Amino acid sequence: MAEPASASTTAGASSAGSSELLLEVRCEEIPARMLEGATRELATRVFEELMGKGVGPREVETGFTPRRLVLVLKGLPARAKDVEEVVTGPPVTAAFGADGAPTKAALGFAQRLGLAPEALERVRTEKGEYVAGRRHIAGRTTAEILAEVLPHVLLGISWAKTMKWGSGVGPWVRPVHGVVALLDGEVVPIELFGVRAGRETVGHPTLSPAPFAVSGSDDYRAGLASRGIEVRFDVRCRRLAEEMAARAAAHGGQLVDDPGLLAKLGAICEIPGVMEGGFDRGLLELPREVLGTSLRDHQSAFTVERDGVMLPLFLTVMDRPDDPVGRVRAGNEWVVAARLADARFFWEEDRKVPLPERAAQLSHLTFHEKLGSYADKAARLAALARAVCEALGWREDVPAAETAAGLLKADLTTEMVKEFTSLQGAMGGIYAREEGHSEPVWQAIYDQYLPASVDDAVPRGRVGVACGLADRIDTLVGMFGLGLVPTGTKDPFGLRRAAQGILRILLENELPLALEPVVRAAAALYGDRLKRSADQIVADLRPFVADRIRYLLGRRELAYDEIEAALASGVEAADLTVSDLASRAKALHQVRGEQAFLAVVLAAKRIANITKGQPEHALDAAALGEPAERALHEEHGKLAGAIDAALGARDYAGALRAIGSLAEPLERFFAEVMVMADDPKVRQNRLALLQAIGRTLSRVARLTEMVVEKAEYRS
Amino acid sequence: MKSFQELILSLTQFWAGQGCVLQQPYDLEVGAGTMHPDTFLRVLGPEPWKVAYVQPSRRPADGRYGDNPFRLGKHYQFQVILKPAPDDVQALYVRSLEAMGLDLRVHDLRFEEDNWEAPTLGAWGVGWQVMLDGMEITQFTYFQQAGGLDLQPISAEITYGLERITMFLGLSRSIYDIEWVPGGPSYGQVRHQEEYELSKYYFELADVSFLQAQLDGWEREAKRCLAEKLVLPAYEGALKCSHLFNVLDARGAVSVTERVALMKRVRDLAVACAHEYVASRERLGFPLLPKAREEEAARG
Repeated sequence: MAEPASASTTAGASSAGSSELLLEVRCEEIPARMLEGATRELATRVFEELMGKGVGPREVETGFTPRRLVLVLKGLPARAKDVEEVVTGPPVTAAFGADGAPTKAALGFAQRLGLAPEALERVRTEKGEYVAGRRHIAGRTTAEILAEVLPHVLLGISWAKTMKWGSGVGPWVRPVHGVVALLDGEVVPIELFGVRAGRETVGHPTLSPAPFAVSGSDDYRAGLASRGIEVRFDVRCRRLAEEMAARAAAHGGQLVDDPGLLAKLGAICEIPGVMEGGFDRGLLELPREVLGTSLRDHQSAFTVERDGVMLPLFLTVMDRPDDPVGRVRAGNEWVVAARLADARFFWEEDRKVPLPERAAQLSHLTFHEKLGSYADKAARLAALARAVCEALGWREDVPAAETAAGLLKADLTTEMVKEFTSLQGAMGGIYAREEGHSEPVWQAIYDQYLPASVDDAVPRGRVGVACGLADRIDTLVGMFGLGLVPTGTKDPFGLRRAAQGILRILLENELPLALEPVVRAAAALYGDRLKRSADQIVADLRPFVADRIRYLLGRRELAYDEIEAALASGVEAADLTVSDLASRAKALHQVRGEQAFLAVVLAAKRIANITKGQPEHALDAAALGEPAERALHEEHGKLAGAIDAALGARDYAGALRAIGSLAEPLERFFAEVMVMADDPKVRQNRLALLQAIGRTLSRVARLTEMVVEKAEYRS
Repeated sequence: MKSFQELILSLTQFWAGQGCVLQQPYDLEVGAGTMHPDTFLRVLGPEPWKVAYVQPSRRPADGRYGDNPFRLGKHYQFQVILKPAPDDVQALYVRSLEAMGLDLRVHDLRFEEDNWEAPTLGAWGVGWQVMLDGMEITQFTYFQQAGGLDLQPISAEITYGLERITMFLGLSRSIYDIEWVPGGPSYGQVRHQEEYELSKYYFELADVSFLQAQLDGWEREAKRCLAEKLVLPAYEGALKCSHLFNVLDARGAVSVTERVALMKRVRDLAVACAHEYVASRERLGFPLLPKAREEEAARG
């Protein structure tokens, strides 16, 4: 006898949700950088799994400290809904005998389902009529489901780095010491790495280590609050920010904003105490970049300013509410004094060797083993910065650009940059300023790594632009010249960021600089160091740069097809400039809603279809006989001047609108004229006319790339 | 305020109370307490092990001729290994701070992520730098791999920087001012001449070609010992190579490309020693395993 052929379910009675889960996992200190993501992952996955099992909560609250992950679910149903299952049994023909009495097969089926034979029903299926029985399945309790879901999700959290401990327990982020899992005050019997869930938690490890029992989330939060502990990360950050702002204001100053640092401080404490310290006023002679970086990188501390001048103060976190004997402050000040004494030592020592002398030392510093030293790079940069200035018509900036380019990397030999790598560039700029270099020169050195991210500013001034471009183009060409093209997620030399930096600088300054000639100049400056020819490098860079353009223009709210149409118009052209390309895409964006333009796009697609695979035909205007084709030819002839004028003024929207005047004659042409005429001469002449128009239509962008919904165009 | 030697005494007393073998410093130049065979080799394999010792640690390039109040070419570490790491190892560590005389109710103690890695030992671990009032006082690591081998059980390594802690507790402005003995000779009086002379030697005087030949020679010795399955002498050869490499580096005699190659040579020796050590202990039947102990007791 076959097993039930099919089963279907129907919903049973539903249950209202008012249950609450409190989950706390306690472990040794979790790295600050992982806490937020892990808590989110825990909440999301538990929520999804419970929804999938029919016991989704109404509210989800999360929290964390370095020592706890916390999840509170409210409005949980007590159990999943009951389910009624219809189980299909044998076919009716086999279930009942000639006398209408149930056969052995039917009786066996009823018995398996625990039903009386008379309770069997009949169902119709595609294969015929079958007997069936109903089975009632009680929904599982939420406690039962949680006991299954919670350990599974907790073990599955994807930590950036895991460890094992003890006899080889794990892997997890850190050793687990305690679990609270309470559903409406009742322990959910789960276990994590041998640690059983219970109802006891602990306070702060040194201030309130005694365990205490909790019954639910309110009780839990109140118990922790009475010990000064706050599990909500955003609340800790807000309290720290408010308290630090108040301390800064008490000194007549303002906190120097640093959201990344605030998030770090919020994640390394469970009691958000503010630690205020001071340092020797004499240290304020150090550049603020140095003070700020040392305090941030070494001490995770904020600095304070009044009217743009730094105060001898720092603010950071302590994982305790107060500093009863001043020992925390004394300790922090001692460390800061030592750190800043180091920084002052670097500042004094570094300035004993001026940048030009340092630039000479760069011959000992390898840029890349096959591409030579940083001294070699500096020589190339001076020439390349000159080439960029000349290409942009900035002749008067050439001397400053050459000076800046020659000194650009000199700060790599300073002790300060060896200690604080994040100060490279800025430090060179500061030393150049100290040495009396002109503003364009020191600013160019200072700004050379800008933009470091997509939202970062670009270098100030022409000299900065020329140096920023030259440095990145030199690196790109060198690496591509060795065949080191980034693949997948691998980009060890930061070439994508370099290309993006180049494009951002060009776009934001709307610079009419064609990249290809500069790339060729950069390749020539490498002499015989490169493995690949300038042509090969250009060919490899083209799609690489096009991808970065797609990304950057996409971020400027330009649509995919606008970018593709603009790229297709000139990505192969040696004198292409990215700002020109952006203007073309923007023009498409502006006019794409206009009816005449939509008509032209559709016509362009039609022309492309008709002329596809056709050789170039010569147009004999005199032989055009039909009025519609003569009208089209005439309109097209008038258009050339208007488009030339608009393109000359880089008024791409104007050019596209001018093209729009072809919409009507094109429509008439397609309505009245048979392109594929029987007479080959007539046919070829008409194709020639369309080919000429097709070329005109592509002068701003390849319109056939544009996506047009038929509904958009109301003819 | 605790003197340098009182700090050593209180840590020694505390960890002896936890059943650690009180070992002595290794009698070869090493860069860190981790390189002592009672750490690097003992964390391998299944045998339990608890040890505590002071290890003078030489970092020639960090020498400052005794001029810098915070930096030394040779400093002292107090090293603890607990294998397997007990469940309460972190709490034990906190108690060791109290044993030093710290009242943690008035300090800020935090554990910030800091994962330790020693490429020349093929070793890495996960853990923290322990921050007391904003100062790093200890490196706390759960070893995950050593000599390229996955570890099981896992050892906890606790490394206290003795000079730093003494200095910090007394808020001294210079390492050389701290008291070695209460009221008695200062750290500077005990060690300043050594710091100066070692810096002078490592930075200016060390004979590069002699040291290079030494390094080649010790590498050969280590390999010869490995071929004879004499793992401890082989490991001493590896330690010699490691130290010679550090001296050459401080002397400015190691180029970027040579550096990679030299580090690989040291690493290859350390990895080979690690593998050979586990094999040698296995041949001995892992004598420190509890079962083996019981059997021994039964026989006796």
